[in-house]
Amino acid sequence: MFKVYRKLFAYVPEKRYLIYVSVVLSVLSTFAAAGAYYYLYVFFDRLIVEGDFSGSVFYAWVIFGLLIGGNAVYFIGVLASHVLGFRLETNLRKRGIDGLAGASFRFFDLNSSGRIRKIIDDNASQTHSIVAHLLPDIANALAKPFLLLIVGFIVSLRVGICLTILTVAAVLLYAGMSGETQFMKYYQQALERLSAESVEYVRGIQVVKIFNADARSFKALYEAIRDYAKFALNYSMSCKVPWVLLQWFMFAITAILVPFIFLLSGIFTHGPETALELLMLMLLSGVMFSTIMKVMYVVMYSFNGGMAVDKLENMYEEMHKDTLQHGTRESFLNYDIEFDHVTFGYGEKPVLKDVSFTLKQNRSYALVGASGSGKSTIAKLISGFYKVDKGAIKIGSHPLGEYSENALLENIAFVFQDVKLFKTTLYENVALADRNAGREKVMEAFRRAGCESILDKFKDRENTMIGSKGVYLSGGEKQRIGIARAILKDAKIVIMDEASAAVDPENEHELQKAFAELMKDKTVIMIAHRLTSVRNVDEILVIEDGKVIERGNDKELMAEDSRYRFFQELYAQANEWRVREHA
Amino acid sequence: MRKWLERRFALTPQGAGDTMKAILASFLVSLSAYAPACLLLLVIDDFVLGHHRPAAFYIVLSIVILVVILILMFIEYDSMYNTTYRESANLRIEIADRLNRLPLSYFSRHDMSDLTQTIMSDVEAIEHAMSHSIPKFVAFFFYFPLLAVMLIGYNWKLGLIVIVPIALGYGLIALSKRVQIRMNKKYYLQLRKNSESFQEAIENAQEIRSFGLNKTLRSGLNAQMEESEKLHLLSEITSAIPLLLSNIVMQLSLALVIIVGINMMINGEISILVLIAYIIAALKIKEAVDTISENVSELYYLDARIERINDIRSAEVQEGQDTEISSCDISLQDVTFAYNEDTPVLNGVTFEAKQDEVTALVGVSGCGKTSILRLISRLYDYDGGTITIDGKDIQGISTNSLFKKVSIVFQDVTLFNTSVMENIRLGDKNASDAQVMEAARLAGCDEFISKLPEGYDTKIGENGITLSGGERQRLSIARAFLKDAPIVILDEIAAALDVENEKKIQDSLNQLIAGKTVIIISHRLKSVEHVNKIVVIDAGKVEASGTHEELLDTSPTYQKLVKNATLAEQFMY
Repeated sequence: MFKVYRKLFAYVPEKRYLIYVSVVLSVLSTFAAAGAYYYLYVFFDRLIVEGDFSGSVFYAWVIFGLLIGGNAVYFIGVLASHVLGFRLETNLRKRGIDGLAGASFRFFDLNSSGRIRKIIDDNASQTHSIVAHLLPDIANALAKPFLLLIVGFIVSLRVGICLTILTVAAVLLYAGMSGETQFMKYYQQALERLSAESVEYVRGIQVVKIFNADARSFKALYEAIRDYAKFALNYSMSCKVPWVLLQWFMFAITAILVPFIFLLSGIFTHGPETALELLMLMLLSGVMFSTIMKVMYVVMYSFNGGMAVDKLENMYEEMHKDTLQHGTRESFLNYDIEFDHVTFGYGEKPVLKDVSFTLKQNRSYALVGASGSGKSTIAKLISGFYKVDKGAIKIGSHPLGEYSENALLENIAFVFQDVKLFKTTLYENVALADRNAGREKVMEAFRRAGCESILDKFKDRENTMIGSKGVYLSGGEKQRIGIARAILKDAKIVIMDEASAAVDPENEHELQKAFAELMKDKTVIMIAHRLTSVRNVDEILVIEDGKVIERGNDKELMAEDSRYRFFQELYAQANEWRVREHA
Repeated sequence: MRKWLERRFALTPQGAGDTMKAILASFLVSLSAYAPACLLLLVIDDFVLGHHRPAAFYIVLSIVILVVILILMFIEYDSMYNTTYRESANLRIEIADRLNRLPLSYFSRHDMSDLTQTIMSDVEAIEHAMSHSIPKFVAFFFYFPLLAVMLIGYNWKLGLIVIVPIALGYGLIALSKRVQIRMNKKYYLQLRKNSESFQEAIENAQEIRSFGLNKTLRSGLNAQMEESEKLHLLSEITSAIPLLLSNIVMQLSLALVIIVGINMMINGEISILVLIAYIIAALKIKEAVDTISENVSELYYLDARIERINDIRSAEVQEGQDTEISSCDISLQDVTFAYNEDTPVLNGVTFEAKQDEVTALVGVSGCGKTSILRLISRLYDYDGGTITIDGKDIQGISTNSLFKKVSIVFQDVTLFNTSVMENIRLGDKNASDAQVMEAARLAGCDEFISKLPEGYDTKIGENGITLSGGERQRLSIARAFLKDAPIVILDEIAAALDVENEKKIQDSLNQLIAGKTVIIISHRLKSVEHVNKIVVIDAGKVEASGTHEELLDTSPTYQKLVKNATLAEQFMY
């Protein structure tokens, strides 16, 4: 538990003093509470034993004062821990933002945006509660039992001993409940399985519906639900006896002791003193019980909190592992691109294995290959936002890591298929590519990328807000905006994922024209989908199984029995295929 | 009461019944907790005031109290914890069943993770509340008035002094609720805004990096986080201050009982015993109230979750009779449809797809083609007009009868984490292994399946993660082969595939559709040139329909599409 807190507090160095404020005030409040019980005892003692009513009003107000004073002090302690907890939450989120800003693109390829957001968001907010609420509660729960015991011993030795026995018994019974760690592990597993099966079930619901396949796919979920219920029930059954006994001892303590008082009348005098002891024991055991209850919650929640921190730290670790280091080199000698024994993978399995090749500046290259061949990966790596596992990618004879981030992003532009637009105007979405460009140049980029027809669709033209009502852009249209951005950026190296007809057939030709515009006088690396369109590029690289297996221009490759020719022929066949006419 | 519980806490009827038992048990336990105090009062009466009773009386009474409390506590435990887990299992199964009967439109409106969360954690929260808060909370509302009546009835002055501050304190919390809700709402709106910006920042990470927008973004987000931290604190404080005040008011009851009680005792109005009894009562009630207020916050927290579950329960399920469909002519008449009210997708679509014919839908993206396929297969229900199969309105046909006749192959394929064999067998539960393998062969799957480590018994991971896009698509076609339904609906099935895989699918496709009613959307315009009928959709309406040759004359949209396709095909960089 303390390990969890040490971890958490490391994220809020600037508000550390609040830990002490909160703890000290919480402990103070327990003194006030114990004090109130002490004065209650003094009051009862005078009333019952001595029959003296004078000063009762004074005691009443002292008790009241201690109770509300304790409340107020506790309140301030809680406030302090809340300020601390909320700052912790904010800092953890900020840490997440920093991580996002530095992480390599591999991280984003591997983790869906929804998942990343959920992990950071949900877990950060979980950690605040373990600090905001639990910190004062822990201080409270640790200090209070001792103070109550002291009050018990002040009342009388017997009450003190009795209360001690009760407390020890309660702790032992509690240990009996939570001691079944093995159980908790199975329980946790059942819970995880339930979660996995639910995800699968909801995802598959479309298929489940269409194939009326409920029985089959349900079975797994049903079993998971039942198993979980079974474990939960077993756990609950195992806690039943200790828990009931714990409550019983605490609530019924007077009824347990009364028979002894009458049976062993030699030891216990039957006078007011004994009555007072019984009364105080009843009151103190009630407070002790609620204190012990609090300890139980504290342990449970700090367990959850610990898991939240672990999840966050794992994610930060993952980001950190992939954080890119940039150098200081600002300019390029030339724009030749070289892959020098590059090995790279997203997970364990490498996608590229020891790949080496060189691309000359101001020429156009097309990467051809089956899906999963590694052609997209090669193109993405040139962006400079990936860490390769082995080898180096060089531009102008220097590894990408030696260049400053600015140098990379000024000289390399890429347009992939999933162009993302920001929720601002179309104009801003393009203008962000070059902050120094005037309106003229931005509009020129729109025009060269063939975006005029997109602007024509909207009343507000380039001032149309993305994401507002009725503003719909197809995949191909978004990509054209992406091309306008890249044109404005005017980088020397252009990496592009050629539009595949699948994105948006009616936009395909527009896209082709826009890409052709973008390619002018640049070093171009293109991921090719439509094989007919790449016949004129300077050189074609055929990628298979993470390796370059052929390179050359169309004429050369078509002249031999190449993989390229095989693709071209297959492509022609697929293109000529027709859905069969019926009778 | 039962109905109210069912609605208020989204329970099943059985669960509501069990909860009522738990409330009763909790009520009795709360009352029985006063028995030891009563015993104590008798002892004080004996020891202090000298009203002696025989020892046997005390011993028997003590034992009776102990046994009764023990039994009640066991009953309470069983009714609170043990039945809870049965209820949560029932609730989860009910929700899962319910989801299965909802139209898919429901899933498009709701985030998938949200739905999973509903099954999982929302029920978990209800489960926790059922075993901890609900019975105690409801029982309190029965036993507090009972206690109040008893206390006031015995001695109205002291009774009021105990009860009034507690009631006032409660009133204070209730009064401040509105302010609290407003503050909370403000904070939640900010939270949602944060989530959206966060999501955008993550989704657009590549663009942000490649255009050097990191710094702007970071400072923007950080400012937002700080803003919400302030709001959060403010909202916490506004809810904490009334709590503090109400606590202070409630503490008054103890002080006043002592002060007033002593006076009354001096005046001889009450005995010392009554005074002590009321002091104990004031202390005990405060203790109970403290426990309850913890439960109350859990219940408030529960409201949003209960709403979500009730939302699923009250969502319209698809109705329809089991119907025998003999001919498979499909006819659409003036069909209108919108995913949400202000953006209509279809504005009166009319066409027919005849049995044994292939009908292709063409049009620019976003024109409503895919929506039409979804309506025909009742993945969504249309808003206006009619869609009939065999002359019968599909909204009158149960989805069971309908899906028996329809095979649908989409661009994105859903697979389950089980064997290849079982994934294909989804197409026909009763198919033998041999039939499954035959279907796989027809769909061109046998080659890659034989290369898998355990062939047909290979488990393919969550959503078939170990397979390539082309392999996944071929598996889904194998399912359709196995199902052998008379109506086949194909939506851009090869669009995401590379040419090698596309070619393989093309080979099997013509076999799949032979002799069926086929409706197809294809990203290759050329591939549907020879079909019986091409329907051109433009802006949610049918612009024209006919054969390829006819449309080249009559449909400007079709001409444009063909021209574009030809240009794209001839283009070279």
